[in-house]
Amino acid sequence: MSCGKAESIRHGHGTRWAAASALAAAAVHPPTVLAVQVHGAPEGLYVHQMAHVLFAAALLFLLYILHYRPIGSGTAWRFFKLSILFFLAWNIDAFVVHWLALGLSEEYFVGGPLLAQRLAGPIDAERLVYYLGRFDHLLCLPAMYFLIRSLDLFSREALDRRREGKAQGP
Amino acid sequence: MTSGLPLLPVYLVDFFGSSLMILLAILAAVRARRLTLLDPESVLWSYLFWLSMALVAFALSRSIGHILRFILILAGFPQVWRLLAPYSGGFNSLTFVAVAVLTFYFYNVHGVLERIRQDARKISSAHAQLEAAHGDLRKLNQTLEERVEARTKELAISEEKFRRLFEGSKDMIFFSDSTARVSDINDGGLDLLGYEDRGAVVGVPLPTLFAEEESWSRFYCELNATGHVKDFEAEFLRRDGSRLYLMMTATAIFDENRRLKACQAIAKDMTRFREVTAQLIRSEYMASIGQLAAGVAHEINTPLGIILGYTQLLKEDFEGQHEVFETLAIVEKQARVCKRIVADLLKFSRHSVEGAMGPADINGCLEEVLAVVEHTLNMDHISVERHFAQGLPSIVVDKERLRQVFMNMINNAHHAIGSEGTVGLWTRLDAHCRTVEIVIADSGSGIPPEVIGRIFDPFFTTKGVDKGTGLGLSVSFGIIKDHGGQIDAYSPPRDPALVAAGMRTAFVITLPVEGGEQAAGDL
Repeated sequence: MSCGKAESIRHGHGTRWAAASALAAAAVHPPTVLAVQVHGAPEGLYVHQMAHVLFAAALLFLLYILHYRPIGSGTAWRFFKLSILFFLAWNIDAFVVHWLALGLSEEYFVGGPLLAQRLAGPIDAERLVYYLGRFDHLLCLPAMYFLIRSLDLFSREALDRRREGKAQGP
Repeated sequence: MTSGLPLLPVYLVDFFGSSLMILLAILAAVRARRLTLLDPESVLWSYLFWLSMALVAFALSRSIGHILRFILILAGFPQVWRLLAPYSGGFNSLTFVAVAVLTFYFYNVHGVLERIRQDARKISSAHAQLEAAHGDLRKLNQTLEERVEARTKELAISEEKFRRLFEGSKDMIFFSDSTARVSDINDGGLDLLGYEDRGAVVGVPLPTLFAEEESWSRFYCELNATGHVKDFEAEFLRRDGSRLYLMMTATAIFDENRRLKACQAIAKDMTRFREVTAQLIRSEYMASIGQLAAGVAHEINTPLGIILGYTQLLKEDFEGQHEVFETLAIVEKQARVCKRIVADLLKFSRHSVEGAMGPADINGCLEEVLAVVEHTLNMDHISVERHFAQGLPSIVVDKERLRQVFMNMINNAHHAIGSEGTVGLWTRLDAHCRTVEIVIADSGSGIPPEVIGRIFDPFFTTKGVDKGTGLGLSVSFGIIKDHGGQIDAYSPPRDPALVAAGMRTAFVITLPVEGGEQAAGDL
């Protein structure tokens, strides 16, 4: 073995040693490794909010389709559109409430036990919107109701069609 | 509102609303499921079902989270809730995404399916159109078949009709090709021409059937020029060489260059008609000659009687003068000749039978005449052949005058033969025409065609001077006419049997049978 070649081998062994040392350091202190993404606390909320946006976008898209390229017409379809509208409203409401909730810390909820809790004053527009927005079931329950009604009517129409022996539905 | 707002209403709505959400989501899912069962192929129902299922998942994750929150916090386990809350929220997020994905996916699938359905509708429409076209085509085909069948039937009927006309016609119908050769001829044509085999006529050049070349030329020129020939009179040659007098109507068929491609013709046999017409003309002619002869005879008879009377008186006066007496005897003789001629003329022209009419046996009459003349005939080596029909009915005639006719006929035959020959006698009954036919034929030299039309004319004779007055046949004609009969001369004979027997000329006497019920046996 020549003297130069032995030098080269020694240099290769040094590189491998440095990489192994970096991995060990990353395992011991993860935040110090920039190559691995960190999912911190606000990410869950952001994902949830983005899901709301996606949900709302899908509903808007569906409304657009049903309006400009209707698949069918009649009461059932009107109920279905109402259901979508209520779900859309609920989405917006939930998105806003989630957003406003970010600005409200634990000290805004006062009064002791859960059932005696109050939203601490002074009640400004932001808190009032938050407070009213918390009644989101008043939007999602009608949405479900109208969905059920539309499904009932769709079933009836499908039965009528079957009885009359007409072609299949939409 | 410095004191704040109570959160209890919010929690209550949250709690009960969550419960209701679970219930309603399940109800929706059940209905959506029922809908998919009703029509499993519907993409919309399928979408609604999965949307409902996503909402059930959403309602459960969210509402259970909300309910558990109250329970856990109120039970004093807020830390457990804090542990579970992210899962509830995360699952919620997933359901939102699921709903969004389903919605976008539904639209795309719906679009694709809609296009497929449109294509299917187009295919179905095309199929329906194809079916309709197929139906139309089938109907058309059926109609076409029916029409073809009907037309074929009509053609068959027409063909049969024309075939019957062609084959059954007694007139000659023939076709010729572009080379003027006979391409087809009917049975009637074959009969008229005397052929039995169609092959003997088919292919024969049409001009060879014409008796006169000039006649063919006129026929061809007229046909070529006008495209048709109407009532064209022509004589055709029969197989045996005899002539057939025809009246033809022909049509030419030209090709695109107006070259004669074929010819179709119908020819009617007018031979008999022409003979009858000729006989009629001759009868009229003879009748007028008879009237003339009667007038002349009547006018001459009186002065002739006076000449004869005075000649006889003068003969008595000049009995002593030999030379004058001889001259007067010659005058008397010639006057008597004239008297006889006048008497014959009167006999020829007389239209009523003056003698005794009575039933007569024709065969017997002939035998009586033969008894007188047969010896003379035998002297000249002329044999007599008798072909008398048995059982002939009696005919009411003037036997004497009828014998005179037979005598004239046989004498004429004798003169025609000269020496060495045969005189044939035939009698026969034509039951259909109720006539008796007497044929007196000879194997003599025959009568030239240019002469045969004049032989019954008074004073027409081919005999030498002093051998005949030319009144024999005229008188015979008059006698037969008086009996309501007819006398015809044929040279050569029309009957092939006579020709076969070596006869060259035949006189045919036809006498009507009166009281035909009387058979010869009654005589």
